[in-house]
Amino acid sequence: MAFIEVADPISMIKSILLIISAFLVILAAVGILRYKDDLQRVMYARIHILGVADMACILALLVLGEFLLAAAYFILTPFNSHAIANAYYYGEEKR
Amino acid sequence: MFRMDLLVISEYILLVALAIFALATIRITTRKTIAMSLVGVSGLAIAVATILILIKNIYGIGFCTDIATALIVLGPVGTIAFSKVLKGDE
Repeated sequence: MAFIEVADPISMIKSILLIISAFLVILAAVGILRYKDDLQRVMYARIHILGVADMACILALLVLGEFLLAAAYFILTPFNSHAIANAYYYGEEKR
Repeated sequence: MFRMDLLVISEYILLVALAIFALATIRITTRKTIAMSLVGVSGLAIAVATILILIKNIYGIGFCTDIATALIVLGPVGTIAFSKVLKGDE
């Protein structure tokens, strides 16, 4: 009379990886809201926290079988973070 | 008795976590600097794309993959383009 049934070891590993990525996403959500705006250079910390959520989502996409999407985002996300940090450094922080 | 697969339960847990993360990124988007809103929108794009892939896996809606592909490709491209504008002329 089990409420939860486990089909095979592969789906159990998939479930564990999905729960790990859910935990990382929750951590990123807490971390991105935790610090106040008046903290010095909090922008770079938030970009760093966004990287954790990005990698968690890539892990989830890999587990769900979307390998091409995961690979595309894995290539694009460093450019994305660098572009934001670069724009903030030369655009807003220097003003 | 109602039974649930462990994989489906973990997919639902991830769905809830991503919904919370999406709300957090929307909160970040409303902060005063432009770069902060870029961070928020970038996080929202990947969160919504993963939610769409989860919906496809749970409910079997096929076209969610197409929308997720567009979000994953065009989200960073839009962020990089806006960053170039924000950086200005050097």
